[in-house]
Amino acid sequence: MRRVWALVWKDLLVEFRGREFLGAMVVFALITIVTLNFAFDLSRGDREAPGAGGLWIAFLFAGMLGLGRSLAVERDRGTLEGLMLCPVDAGTIFLGKFISNVMFIVIVQAVSLPVFYGLYNLPSLRPMVLLIAVIGAIGFAGLGTLFSAVAASSRAREILMPLLLFPLAIPLVIGTVQATTLIFQGDGADAWPWFNLLAAFDVIFVTLSYVLFDLVLEE
Amino acid sequence: MMQRKPANRSDMLVTGLGVLAVVVLTLGIFMAFVYAPTDRDQGDAQRIFYVHVPMAWLAYLAMGVVFIGSVGYMWKRSARMDRLARSSAELGFLFTTLVLITGSIWGRPIWNAWWQWEARLTTTLILWFIFIGYFMVRAYAGDAERGARYAAVLGIIGAIDVPIIHQSVKWWRTLHPEPIVLDTAGPNLPDSMLVTLLVCLAGFTLLYAFLMVLKMQIEWARDVLAERELTALLAPEGNQAERRTVATVSHKVSGAAED
Amino acid sequence: MDDNLGYLFAAFAVTWLAIAGYLLYIGQQVKGLRDEVRMLNEGDDSPGV
Repeated sequence: MRRVWALVWKDLLVEFRGREFLGAMVVFALITIVTLNFAFDLSRGDREAPGAGGLWIAFLFAGMLGLGRSLAVERDRGTLEGLMLCPVDAGTIFLGKFISNVMFIVIVQAVSLPVFYGLYNLPSLRPMVLLIAVIGAIGFAGLGTLFSAVAASSRAREILMPLLLFPLAIPLVIGTVQATTLIFQGDGADAWPWFNLLAAFDVIFVTLSYVLFDLVLEE
Repeated sequence: MMQRKPANRSDMLVTGLGVLAVVVLTLGIFMAFVYAPTDRDQGDAQRIFYVHVPMAWLAYLAMGVVFIGSVGYMWKRSARMDRLARSSAELGFLFTTLVLITGSIWGRPIWNAWWQWEARLTTTLILWFIFIGYFMVRAYAGDAERGARYAAVLGIIGAIDVPIIHQSVKWWRTLHPEPIVLDTAGPNLPDSMLVTLLVCLAGFTLLYAFLMVLKMQIEWARDVLAERELTALLAPEGNQAERRTVATVSHKVSGAAED
Repeated sequence: MDDNLGYLFAAFAVTWLAIAGYLLYIGQQVKGLRDEVRMLNEGDDSPGV
């Protein structure tokens, strides 16, 4: 377990020293959130649903940006082989990557939510919104880490990862957007069933990704 | 066609399956057009039900077999399991496409639209993309062995996700309900319709089995040929053992085995 | 009601055409494999391949 945190720390260090893609992810999310204003009318009427949807589109695409690069960069630099030479098993590598990916996505979310609130006056700063955001990020990063490894070694990595990830993450999209909409509209008490769906999804697919990562990494 | 077993047994199996499939399907189509009663509400368009439902059944059956093959490959690294998975994936993709097309054609006169985001159609659309992903992963993986591994990963995750996707789309739909669902008299299906449906289901399942056996043989042959080419590439002069293998595989006696 | 017959036939036609097309495709694969086998066998005959 200690090794996992070592890997996470390494990823964080690399990121904050080189400022690789976290910055790009944040900027991308912010730009998307601003663009929402021109894509939808969020000033009146039923604005909670398109607002929630737009917010999550920003998260998903920004997340995709980070996930896609995550293992591709490693493979390009040859650091992936270095990792595999270490006496750690694939599962540990997965956990390290997964946790750092979750962190990056959550950082993007943490920056985006206040901005979103400021621009649209929708209650995106309610704690439950952040809870749903994190739960969504966990599931997305779980599958995303696995598929970024699959796509990283292929010629079509940019198109392959979204193609694999989006269809499979549909329950995540449905759950997070519906829950967020409900929280925007009311007190969100009826969002709990969606939370349960998301939590179940996370457990199942993070576990599966952990188990299957071995299959992907062997060379 | 290259086969290790005596040509008779598996040829008979294939032919038998094919003939049986044709017979049952012919009966099924006849029943669908003539025997089955006309639906009160939807008229004759409802008869599309008798191909649409079997196609859907096959699409998900095929995905299930892909799952089995993928798990089998993950467990044993068995080439046969991989062949099972990729053969069924090809068929699954064909049937999934047909579900979407027949569903759309059926829906048009009933909904006045080519598409509805109803739970089953939506899940099938996503399944369609999963199949595409399955083939892209294989195609872009670089080499066959890696392709098989990655595809197995997708096969496992995809298959497990499909029921979850279906459930979440269903729940989502309760919030965004839409008019009529593609169905016929719901749970109270008249017996004649039920029988017709069952016959069609049986016929199409036999067709699937027939195509699977064919496909498996083709894939086996391709695997062997690929391996053989690899061997020839790696050891052009060949040693005695290799040439013997090669000779067996091509049903020839290699007179020049002494080298 | 008669319009609906058009849809009915379209659906069945697409299905059977697709399946027939797929059978043709498989037939092509088999033919291709047979040719490949023959070519490789002939390659075996010639010395120093």
